[in-house]
Amino acid sequence: MQLIDKLSILADAAKYDASCASSAAPKRSSEGKSGIGSSTGMGICHSYTPDGRCVSLLKILLTNFCLYDCQYCVNRRSSDVPRARFTPEEVVTLTLDFYRRNCVSGLFLSSGIIRSADYTMEQLVRVAKLLREEHEFRGYIHLKTIPEADPALIEEAGRYADRLSVNIELPTQLGLQTLAPEKEMGSIKQAMQTIYTGQQTVLNEPRAPRFTPAGQSTQMIVGADDTDDSTLLHTAESLYGDFRLKRVYYSAFSPIPNSPKSVPLAAPPLMREHRLYQADFLLRGYGYRANELLDGPGHLALDIDPKLAWALEHRDVFPLDLNCAEPAMIARIPGIGIRTTKRLVELRRQRRIRYEDLTRLRCVLAKARPFIITSDYHPRQAESSSVMLREQLRDRPQPQQMALWG
Amino acid sequence: MIVLDCGDLFDTWRQQARWLLSHQINPDQVSWSVPEDADLFTSDDHYPEQLGPFQARVPLELVELLQNAAQYCGEQRWSLLYEVLWRVSHGDRTAMLAGDKLGSELHRRLKQVSREAHHLHAFLRFIALPVSPNPKDLAVKAALLETQSLPEYVAWHEPAHDILRSASEHFVGRLGRHRWMIATPKDGVFYDGQQLIHKRQCPDAWQALARNADDPHGELWLTYYSHIFNPARLNPRVMQGHLPARFWKNLPEGPLIPALISEARTGKQRDGQARKIAERKGKVIRG
Repeated sequence: MQLIDKLSILADAAKYDASCASSAAPKRSSEGKSGIGSSTGMGICHSYTPDGRCVSLLKILLTNFCLYDCQYCVNRRSSDVPRARFTPEEVVTLTLDFYRRNCVSGLFLSSGIIRSADYTMEQLVRVAKLLREEHEFRGYIHLKTIPEADPALIEEAGRYADRLSVNIELPTQLGLQTLAPEKEMGSIKQAMQTIYTGQQTVLNEPRAPRFTPAGQSTQMIVGADDTDDSTLLHTAESLYGDFRLKRVYYSAFSPIPNSPKSVPLAAPPLMREHRLYQADFLLRGYGYRANELLDGPGHLALDIDPKLAWALEHRDVFPLDLNCAEPAMIARIPGIGIRTTKRLVELRRQRRIRYEDLTRLRCVLAKARPFIITSDYHPRQAESSSVMLREQLRDRPQPQQMALWG
Repeated sequence: MIVLDCGDLFDTWRQQARWLLSHQINPDQVSWSVPEDADLFTSDDHYPEQLGPFQARVPLELVELLQNAAQYCGEQRWSLLYEVLWRVSHGDRTAMLAGDKLGSELHRRLKQVSREAHHLHAFLRFIALPVSPNPKDLAVKAALLETQSLPEYVAWHEPAHDILRSASEHFVGRLGRHRWMIATPKDGVFYDGQQLIHKRQCPDAWQALARNADDPHGELWLTYYSHIFNPARLNPRVMQGHLPARFWKNLPEGPLIPALISEARTGKQRDGQARKIAERKGKVIRG
C-alpha cells in the first residue's frame, strides 16, 4: 500500500480523539544546531478544518488494526473499516515533512492494540525515540499511552514525549464493562499514576531528564452511554486532583460507520460538549468546584452557560460593586473574564470604574448588566427574578439546517 | 499644523516625537503623513531643530508598548502613538490602559499586531526548493537573488501589519541551520543559516521565487487535511473565526475548503468517516 493511502486511512481513524494541543512544552530551539524543531510553550494552530477544529499536530494512528472491541470505536475489531499500518520510519518521514512545511508543530501518535499492549507501546516509543535521537527533532510529541503496557515502557515514553495521555473514555466501571469489555478502570488509573509518579520524580531536580513536561491529559466520550454531566465533571475534578492532569478533553460521540446497536446513531451532542468545556474551564481557571456547578445528578443547562447558571442561583452575592469587589468575585460575574478582571483592577487603582469602561473592555454587557454596580450605574434588573433574567439571557437555538440530517 | 514623515520607521518617529515633546507641541498640532500628501498641509510655525526645554519622563514599559503598536498598519498609525506619549508624559498614565478611550485603541492595535504575528507562525507554508547538484547553477541562482547562498525553503505570505521582521525570528528556532526565505508584497527576509537579513522592499526575484515555487509532494498534506476533518461536526462559522478567509488563497488546503463544506452539508452520510474511506473495502479482524 502506498504511503498516501495509509495516511488517508490512519488519519481518518484518528479524528475521533479531540486533543490536538501543542501547548505547555518547555522552550526549545534549534538555532545554530543540527536537527529541527522548537517549542515556545504557546501552542500553534496551523490550520482549521471545516468542523472548526484546530490542526496543530500530525494526529494519526500507527495502525488501526485492533484486538479490542470497544463499541464506540470505529477501529474495533468487529468494524468493517479499511485497515493499514505505518512503519515507525514512515511516521517519522511524514512528521518531518509536515513540520518543515510549517503545517504542524509536532506529532500526536496513537495506535490500535496489536499483538499485545507491550508490543504496541514499544512501537509508539520507537517512533518518538527515532525522532528525538536520530533526527534531533525538538518539536512537540504527544504519545497515547496503552494502559496495560509495562510501566517501564510508559516511563520510557515519558522521557521522549512532551505529553502522554491515557484515555478514560467512559468514566464509570459499568460503562466500560458494557461498551469496552477489554478495558479496565483500574489499569487506566494505574497508568495515570505511573505518569504522575514519573513527573513527581523529576520535580525540583533541574538536572534530571525531562518527563512529560507538557503534562498528561485524558479524554471522555460524551453521549455514547447515559453518563450524566455531573458524573463527567466530578470525574474530571478528581482526575485533576489525583493525577494533576493538564487537561480533560470531552469528545461528543460522533456516529461511526457500521454502528453497533449499543451506541447511538445520532448527530454528536455538540452543545453539550461545549457546555462541558465551559464548565471544565471554570474548574481549572476560575476556582469553581464541580459541586457548585452541579450538586446532584443531572446535566448542565444547554440554554445558558454554567457561569450564568451559577450567578442566577446566587443572586444574594450580586450585584457586585466593581470599584471594591474582590477580584476572584468579579471573575464570577457573567460576561466578565479573568483578563477583564485584571484590567478592571488595574484601572480602579487609577480612578473610579464607570459603566462606559466596560464597553471599551469588551465585556459581554448584556450578560453582565444585572450583576454589576459602577460609580454611575445601578442595575434596574437587580429586582428581576432569576426566572425572568434567564428568559432574557438564554441562548436562542440556531435555526436548523434541514438539509444537514434531513 | 506640522506634517511629518517618518518613513514608517519607529526609530525615526521616536526622534521626531522626542523633538515635538521637548517643544511641548500639542498632538492636535501635528500629523504624520506620507510625502505625497504633505503639501496638503502647510505650516506657518517655525521651530528650531534643536531639542526644546521640556524634559519628558516616561516608563520604559511605554516605549515597548509603542514600539509594538507601531507595527500596526492603518489610519492614524503614528499620531495615535504621539497622543498616548503626550498624555503619559504629562502625568496621565491611564492612556496606557485598556480601560481608557485612547488606551483601548492602543491595546486593540497591540492585539491585532500580536495576532498577525501568530498568523505568520501558524499559516505560513514553506515549500522545499529542488536541490540542484550543479554548483555553478547554484551560484547563478544565488546571484539573481543577490544572496550568498540559495534558500532551501521559500514561502509567500501576506501579513496585514508590519510584523515580518520581528515575527520571522520564530523560524530561526524552528528550522535550525536550514536556509529559508519569506517574501511578502512589502518586505522580505532571508535566513542564510547564520543570520536573518531583512529587506524593507522585497526584491522582485525573491517574490518571483516564492510565488512560483513548484510543490510536487504537496498531496500528502492535502490528503491529511481532508481526512482529519469530521464531517459529522461541520461548523464553518467557527473555522472562519479562527482562519480568516483572506489566508485561504495562500494555503494549499484553502481550495479544498468549499468542497469539504458542501459535501458534508449535502452528503447522505451520517457519520464521521470520509467518503473516500467508506468506499474502500473493509476488514473485520477475527481473533
